[in-house]
Amino acid sequence: MEATQGSAAWEPADPVTLSVLLHRLEGVVGEMVQTIEHTALSPLLSLCRDFSCALYDADCRQVCMGAGLPIHTASLNLVLRAIDRAFAGDIRDGDLFLCNDPQHGNTHIADLVAACPVFIAGRHAFWSVARGHQLDTGAADPSSITPTAENRWQEGMAIPPLRLGRDDTVRPDLLELYLANVRYREILHGDLLAMIGSIHTGRLRLREIAAEMSLAGLQRYADEVIGYADRRMAAEIAGMPDGTFHGVAWLDGNGLGDEDVPVRASVTISGDRVHVDYQGSSPQIRGGVNSGIGTAVAAGTCPVLYCVPADIPHNEGCLRHITVHAPAGTICNADFPASTSCATVAPGDVMQEAVNKALALAVPGRVLAGSSRAGNIPQFTGVDERTGREWSVMIFNNAGGGGASAATDGWPMFDSLSTSGGMRCAPVEQTELLFPVLFEWCEIEPGSMGFGQRLGGPGTRCSIRPVAGTMECILFGDGSRNPPHGVAGGTPAAGCISYVENHDGTGRRGYPACAHMWIGPGERWMGISTGGGGYGDPLLRPPDLVADDVRNELYDRATATGIFGVVLAGDGLTLATDLAATAAQREALGAARGAVPAVSPDRPAAGRWAEATEGGRAHRD
Amino acid sequence: VAVRIGIDIGGTFTDFVVADSHGVLSVWKEDSTPADPVRAVLHGLEAIAAQRGQDLAALMAQVELIVHGTTIATNTLIERTGPVAGLLCTAGFRDILHLRDGYKSERFNIRQPHPGELIPRSLRRPVQERISAAGEIITPLREADVAAAAAIFRAAGVNTVAVAFLWSVANPAHEVRAAEVLAQQLPGADVVCSHDVLPEMREWERTSAAAISAYVRPRLRGYLSRLEHELASRGLRRPPLIVQNNGGCSSIRELLSRPVYLVASGPAAAPAAARRSSAHLKAGTVIILEAGGTSTEVSTLRHGEPGVTRSAQVAGQPLGVAAVDVTSIGAGGGSIGWIDPGGALRVGPASAGAVPGPACYGQGGLAPTVTDAHVVLGTLAPDAFLAGRRALDRDRAVAAIRENLAVPLGTAPEVAAAGIINVLEANMVAAIREISVGRGIDPRQCVLAAGGGAGGLHATRVAGQLGIRTVVIPLQAGALCAFGMLVSDVRHEDVAPLFGQAGTLPADSVDALLAKMDQTAVARLAGEGFGEQQISVRHAHELTIPVPTGPLNAETAVADLTEAFHRAHAAAFSYARPDVEVEFLHWRVLSAGTQPEPESPAPHGESAALPTEIPDPVAHREIFHPVRREPVMTAVYQAADIAPGMDVTGPAVLQGATTTILLDEGDVLRARPHAYEIELSP
Repeated sequence: MEATQGSAAWEPADPVTLSVLLHRLEGVVGEMVQTIEHTALSPLLSLCRDFSCALYDADCRQVCMGAGLPIHTASLNLVLRAIDRAFAGDIRDGDLFLCNDPQHGNTHIADLVAACPVFIAGRHAFWSVARGHQLDTGAADPSSITPTAENRWQEGMAIPPLRLGRDDTVRPDLLELYLANVRYREILHGDLLAMIGSIHTGRLRLREIAAEMSLAGLQRYADEVIGYADRRMAAEIAGMPDGTFHGVAWLDGNGLGDEDVPVRASVTISGDRVHVDYQGSSPQIRGGVNSGIGTAVAAGTCPVLYCVPADIPHNEGCLRHITVHAPAGTICNADFPASTSCATVAPGDVMQEAVNKALALAVPGRVLAGSSRAGNIPQFTGVDERTGREWSVMIFNNAGGGGASAATDGWPMFDSLSTSGGMRCAPVEQTELLFPVLFEWCEIEPGSMGFGQRLGGPGTRCSIRPVAGTMECILFGDGSRNPPHGVAGGTPAAGCISYVENHDGTGRRGYPACAHMWIGPGERWMGISTGGGGYGDPLLRPPDLVADDVRNELYDRATATGIFGVVLAGDGLTLATDLAATAAQREALGAARGAVPAVSPDRPAAGRWAEATEGGRAHRD
Repeated sequence: VAVRIGIDIGGTFTDFVVADSHGVLSVWKEDSTPADPVRAVLHGLEAIAAQRGQDLAALMAQVELIVHGTTIATNTLIERTGPVAGLLCTAGFRDILHLRDGYKSERFNIRQPHPGELIPRSLRRPVQERISAAGEIITPLREADVAAAAAIFRAAGVNTVAVAFLWSVANPAHEVRAAEVLAQQLPGADVVCSHDVLPEMREWERTSAAAISAYVRPRLRGYLSRLEHELASRGLRRPPLIVQNNGGCSSIRELLSRPVYLVASGPAAAPAAARRSSAHLKAGTVIILEAGGTSTEVSTLRHGEPGVTRSAQVAGQPLGVAAVDVTSIGAGGGSIGWIDPGGALRVGPASAGAVPGPACYGQGGLAPTVTDAHVVLGTLAPDAFLAGRRALDRDRAVAAIRENLAVPLGTAPEVAAAGIINVLEANMVAAIREISVGRGIDPRQCVLAAGGGAGGLHATRVAGQLGIRTVVIPLQAGALCAFGMLVSDVRHEDVAPLFGQAGTLPADSVDALLAKMDQTAVARLAGEGFGEQQISVRHAHELTIPVPTGPLNAETAVADLTEAFHRAHAAAFSYARPDVEVEFLHWRVLSAGTQPEPESPAPHGESAALPTEIPDPVAHREIFHPVRREPVMTAVYQAADIAPGMDVTGPAVLQGATTTILLDEGDVLRARPHAYEIELSP
């Protein structure tokens, strides 16, 4: 760590000041988060919280990151460094910068980064930064995430490091250039103001802290906060077994014919370092489901963060223990001008899954079983035929389940590894009030989760129909053909599917995880999302919990007997376990089966719906 | 003589505050009796009567009002000790309670358990029916489904049922009919309809509010009926009033019709106590810090009204209804200081509790607590704690702090003890920032009111760190909530949906709706015994936009409301977007029945309270200053010696029976009839 000015740096750090500043910085970032949550106009930010806020020092070292979306948190510094490089020597108090360009280290084009330098006593001391997913990027298709984009220009308007304002004044012509190139300009303008309000809040609070404890003191203890995370992270990783562990996972496809695309991760634990290498992964493919370096670094880092205590601050001191290599030209780090429109979810989720599978071999007690990979999050758009108004909404109510852990059953509505349950979905009633759609069904899908000593979180079945004209649906995502994996004897989940059919159930057409479809007035969209993977041997799940599961119709009796080895007597509310028969059944199942696999499945296309989506080509009506 | 009593049941003590028309205010603490909380209430009342030289019957004949706070419903939720309950829901939407809003609060904690539901999936029974956002019937109610569900409930022994259908808020017909069918098929069962409990859009919160109500009502009714009966049989004339989540109180009958209004009422009466103690200061916002044994609660009073939130949860279950906005930190007097694996000093959430308690209690506790730190620093005198009822062992406190903290940190016990205090106070400051700055309030413009056993020990320094200049400590600080109950008004909130955009919203339908809601509110308060003069009614929006009572001006009403909204938005969030059309969703009517103020025990105001010579300190002792890290010679006063009108200048300690107040150098404490008021040294 570099020495800060003055003799103070030679004194040992005061554990009280350290503890106080740790909380204080978290409080500042918490306030930045609240600002966006309370003032953004798009539900994507205000409700679903698809954004993150952070503070950096003047050297672009992450000092404090709010508990945002995991995929946002681990590589935001790459964008800030790009901004810092682009304007080196010309960064002034009151400047305001934007960047959304994956060429400059961003995760994908929909994530807009806003940053302002924090000057204190005339010196550039910190950065205040926010990243938020924008509802639209001006792409050819009306979606911010476009699996069918064939190159950078089809995925929307790139904003390389840009000075949007000076002296706290936004340049109106630049603002207009941005707003003129996106749909829903009112909403996007509101969201941009919310983000600017957020980073200005961070700037104000940092100045207040510096006024209280002196700039030198703040800088000194910002270093100590980084050192604190460094010490704790080092101790955690040193407690993991050294070695290289391998994981492979498969992306369903791109909706353009590529299918079961492999992503390989080698995880090397050595002393207090972890290195993730995506060597051996598929070459880049057509469409928007490639990753750039920003998402690759985040996807390699996040799974490691899940294996350590959640209260270790995710700052530079923590992140420096994890390095990531993504070979150029692969799906994990595609060459320009390949599209990375969907990167944070596809292949971001499957990249994390490959790392998670490798970590399941290294530290099985610390990992999450496979989780839903951002399938079944439809973006519906249309024109309300009653008013002529254009409308667009992204629906999160059909999000898939999370994996089980050694300690707990999985959560429903986990969404994706990239968000890990960090997004809120809108109430059905609010969506119906604001948009011309009707929900017919939204309920747990029995048997959609992986089984084990701990159950994966359930997937849901969700049925929606338009009530004022045809609606268009863009689906991006993954996890239909290749379902979330089970760990330590837990079974994989079912995988997801969606289809369109007539109201009477005829004329059904199934779609893969990436698809583009239209739903007419007499039709409905039906999504069945995947649950999460199971954890541990199903034969170890307590029989009374299995009886509860069956009573609650989470899975059927045949599953209870055939997979959990639990024999049930009676019916409905009188359902009870037959303990003697259960003991015999469990012994028989155990003998026939042998050792349980550490990770399952070990082959592509193991999902329940794989055959229904054979060919992987998006249907175009 | 007319007597009023506030009774607050806590885990350890049941607190009583008594006021009579002579103005006598007294505090009584009775050991709680968790197995049968009514017993502690009766014991306490007998003790109070004895203290007044009466028998219980004579006291009860004088009591005009008892206001009571109970956590029985909260504990039922947290401990999951309610009966097996059932839910009727729209077919296809059986898992609203399980799916929640899809939000997992700790993204990086893969072991965070799901909060679970109050009603298991097997007893969440679907009913064919559907109503649209506009209130039209899309699918008629299939009564056979209700009957089938009733059969299942009967078999499962379910005797309390919530009915929560989609869009019942737009048209309650199906919920009403389903409840009728249930009443026939499941005679004697408790049935709660979601549109009755929380007539607001947002199915998760509404379903949860109904489920909570169904789940806690049987036990709550049992307890409140017994309390009412026991008190009546001892001569109480008017049934007790009960404190609700919003800090106001309510009749037992009203509360039992929507018990969710009670489940977060624990700290809800604190703002009312603060209002009473700080009214003369005319502060826009009062921040209330209540520091107890294991936790510290922070709430606010804004222009005389408690700050409320509509996103409160208890045991992971959302309430949906308004509750006093409370930020809680898991740190109080019994909390343990420790060094985490990265070398930072932490305080709490682990606590030494009442048993074994802090090391200085000498009951076997070895962990260094906040109380031990105060003993080591000298803020708490070993022989003056709880008016000398409990002797504290300073050597044990020093040993606990030395061995667990000072030695590992390589420092003196006083410095380590100072560290505990500094970290705790920083956590208090952070909680106050969250509830003030985080809600658009500048704490420097606020008054800090402190209560709880430990509030007075930290109030001045916490205020100093926030730039607050004035601190108020009620005389009844040790029983803040019981005192708050004594001065709470009866408060109800009604809400109804009327959706529309500013451009098209007809003022006359708003008028009709509000007028109907006003009538309901007034009738309810009249039923609770309030006369016309005591009843007030207000209309409000989420951002608290004043809506005039009385007919709206059809020409300008909507435009006026829109403008008021933009002004409030700018005030709360630093900007407004007047170019964006405002949407109206819900209309609220807030009604209150005002309780008469208790008499002042002494003439109030500057002119009457002549400055009085203060008595000499009972002692001087060195107190180690946690910020300056040096001992400061400090004057010690007995609180009982300091009468209204007297000033005490810091450095000083004021030792009371249930609370101790610490003044830094230059702080000036002035005793007033209701409270101590402290001006901080600039």
